[in-house]
Amino acid sequence: MHPAGGAGPKISLPGVKYVVAVASGKGGVGKSTVAVNLALALHMHGSRVGLMDADIYGPSVPIMMGLPQVDPKTTPFPIERYGLKLMSMGFIVNPNQAVIWRGPMVHKAVSQFLTDIDWGQLDYLVIDLPPGTGDAQLTLTQTAPLSGAVIVTTPQEVSLIDARKGLEMFKQVRVPVLGIVENMSYYEGHDGKRVPIFGQGGGLKLAGTAGVPFLGEIPIDPRVAECGDAGDPIVHKYPDSVVAKAYLALATTVVHELKKAGDVPDLPGMKF
Amino acid sequence: MAMTVSRPEPLRPVALGKEGEDRLFIEWSDGHRSTYSWRHLRDHCPCAGCRGELGQPPDLFRILTEKELSAPKVIRPVEIAPVGRYAYKIVWNDGHDTGLYTLENLRALCQCPQCVRKT
Repeated sequence: MHPAGGAGPKISLPGVKYVVAVASGKGGVGKSTVAVNLALALHMHGSRVGLMDADIYGPSVPIMMGLPQVDPKTTPFPIERYGLKLMSMGFIVNPNQAVIWRGPMVHKAVSQFLTDIDWGQLDYLVIDLPPGTGDAQLTLTQTAPLSGAVIVTTPQEVSLIDARKGLEMFKQVRVPVLGIVENMSYYEGHDGKRVPIFGQGGGLKLAGTAGVPFLGEIPIDPRVAECGDAGDPIVHKYPDSVVAKAYLALATTVVHELKKAGDVPDLPGMKF
Repeated sequence: MAMTVSRPEPLRPVALGKEGEDRLFIEWSDGHRSTYSWRHLRDHCPCAGCRGELGQPPDLFRILTEKELSAPKVIRPVEIAPVGRYAYKIVWNDGHDTGLYTLENLRALCQCPQCVRKT
């Protein structure tokens, strides 16, 4: 079955060189953590980076970046923090309030984040997608100039099975999959011994069977969650940690894959 | 540990336009030139209203809208708009615009003499 739904007009982002979606089939694999830290790692390599939180129902970017809800009447968007330009539903809606919307409203919000926000000149706009293959994903793949997608998974089968669905979605809508990043790959004890808490080699195996690059492993470190909850991501707070180094390496690989994927030309259209 | 692979280039249209008054042509990245009559494309509209949804046939007893009843006799598109990088949305002169024709589907619908002979 092919993706369905009314496609809106194509959105162009002339000031943005690359638009990278961070996706996963399953929730809870650390997608927002990867998106935030990847964006910061790209920035630490000297690039101009924006981060758009497309998770309308459960935005995580504000808390991870240490930013509160603001008054949209007086605060200009995007908001800048740690050198990144940010936009999230969490800036507009009270964190204790639920966004209870049907698909068309999600479509509208995601489109507006792209069209009504002045992102300016960026090398990379990282988009943190919600889990699954639903409205936000459809809107972005049908209307936004996506350069590629990074799929996040953990090594365990229950995560891999949904990551496959995400891969299939991007294949169907012809958005290049830049590769798979395996999060929570292992825990390294003080003795240097690696403990594969959620299993081993799942991400690499999935990349092999899907024929997409394997972008790397991100180890488990309790400080990742602490930093996220404290609003100062690990790549920024502990840039010399093993995890931060893994993110800096990931950023280099993602840039390499983006250049390899190249500029996919737009399809020609016609009016009568 | 990072691993890279090379990606095969999927087929995509490099040009499309009108052929005569009642046909569309698409030139593909592999050099193939497809042609389609407007009627053929409309008859194969992939939208849920025309094709049915989730294995269910379309509702033959649905009440036609005023727009559908006053539809022009000669059906032709007014716009063929790209949808992302994977499909085209055709807007017809009777207002119908819900069909998203994926590139794979369009290639399969080709009516050029070579493709017609194969089927």
